Amino acid sequence: MPGLDRYHRQMLLPGFGEEGQKKLLGSSALIVGCGALGTVIANMLARAGVGHLIIVDRDFIEMTNLQRQVLFDESDVANAIPKAQAAKNKIAGINSDVTVTAVVEDVNHTNMEKLALGGYSQGQWAGKPVDVIVDGVDNFETRYLANDCAVKHGVPYVYGGAVGTVGASYAVLPHTEKGDAAWEAGEASGATPCLRCIFEQAPPPGLNPTCDTAGVIGPAVSIVSNYQVAETLKILTGNLDRVSPTMLNLDLWGNTFRQFKVAKAYDVGDCRCCKHREFEFLDGKFGSSTTTLCGRNAVQITNKEAAGGKLDFTEIGQRLEAHGTVKVNKFMLRADITDNGEPYELTLFTDGRAIVKGTKHANVAKGVYAKYVGA
Amino acid sequence: MPDTINVEIPAALRPQVNDQEAVAVEGATVGDLLNTMKADYPEFGAKLFNDAGELNRFVNIYVNDEDIRFLDNLDTAVTSADQVAVVPAIAGG
Repeated sequence: MPGLDRYHRQMLLPGFGEEGQKKLLGSSALIVGCGALGTVIANMLARAGVGHLIIVDRDFIEMTNLQRQVLFDESDVANAIPKAQAAKNKIAGINSDVTVTAVVEDVNHTNMEKLALGGYSQGQWAGKPVDVIVDGVDNFETRYLANDCAVKHGVPYVYGGAVGTVGASYAVLPHTEKGDAAWEAGEASGATPCLRCIFEQAPPPGLNPTCDTAGVIGPAVSIVSNYQVAETLKILTGNLDRVSPTMLNLDLWGNTFRQFKVAKAYDVGDCRCCKHREFEFLDGKFGSSTTTLCGRNAVQITNKEAAGGKLDFTEIGQRLEAHGTVKVNKFMLRADITDNGEPYELTLFTDGRAIVKGTKHANVAKGVYAKYVGA
Repeated sequence: MPDTINVEIPAALRPQVNDQEAVAVEGATVGDLLNTMKADYPEFGAKLFNDAGELNRFVNIYVNDEDIRFLDNLDTAVTSADQVAVVPAIAGG
């Protein structure tokens, strides 16, 4: 056990102490996505002394990330370091008590559980399930995947999302199969509704603006992600009764901070995930799949889920016009986009299918789709 | 005469209501408010409701920070003293 002196200021807090600090040092957290939310989360959890961080991200760092993604700098852009690896490099200099497992992969139904169950971890952390899953992703498909995994394996999951000047966060202490999780002990279960209890469906692709089309300010992601960190610290130090039962929603331009009451969503609803224990995203029934189109330097993305509405080409087209030439007819939308200096041709079809030309790599194609169309 | 209520519109749906942050609507229930808005702003209605006329499941309506699903759904009574907000799932990160 490393010395605890450096953690003195947080150990002063009631309910924290040396005991809480030792729990943190013995804990493992999975950070899914290492962009604006994920860098703040990784930074603060490393400084707080969470013993093991698994950081997974499929992407590289771009100059336009530096405005808000606090663990990265210009040399990471120049050296084309993947986000997960760059985060690991930075954390090595911030807190040597912390072990980081960096995974440069797209998170999907084939690897989500492996990540959460310690399948990528080494040494003393190998095969050890994580104690919490913290959400730093930029799309709903991956969020539902993380939510499914959290409910299936009884791991707390801390949702966060931010775009423009707005953000939301909510901690799930999942209902487990046996009802024997630490938060379910006692007369009244402290289990909370899962993300699908609150939002049963993902917004259809293109409904919501993304950070790459609508913009985002650093404070929106910083506030949301630090709120996620606070909830995570409560969970990992065993202060479960302190975890907020509400969903935070804030708008820094509208000057609104709301705490929506969501506690009844489990009882009133009929959630496929946490009530029926059907893990549709983990089972690969929903979500997108990708196919590399042979000899065409292109990847097709297919959405299995008929999301809550058809694509609105007019609206998506208007948004993409800022990034390149857009052509629309009633069958498809085609846009030429330059992302991180690379040209791509993005073709969207009314059924939600997309072809990203200019890459053979599924990760790159999914990244372009998530950034410019959203999910 | 029903009350006039300011319905808060999320940033993602403001283009569908002429960029207003809140829309003043008359009505006695949440359903009244949303139906009037659907008539006044058809594009907003198309985002909010599915083809069967039900609220899409990626949007919640809160009255005084409580989800209408735990109140009386679209029949939830409202007055000008109530705070009504349309809240979609927020995806970015």
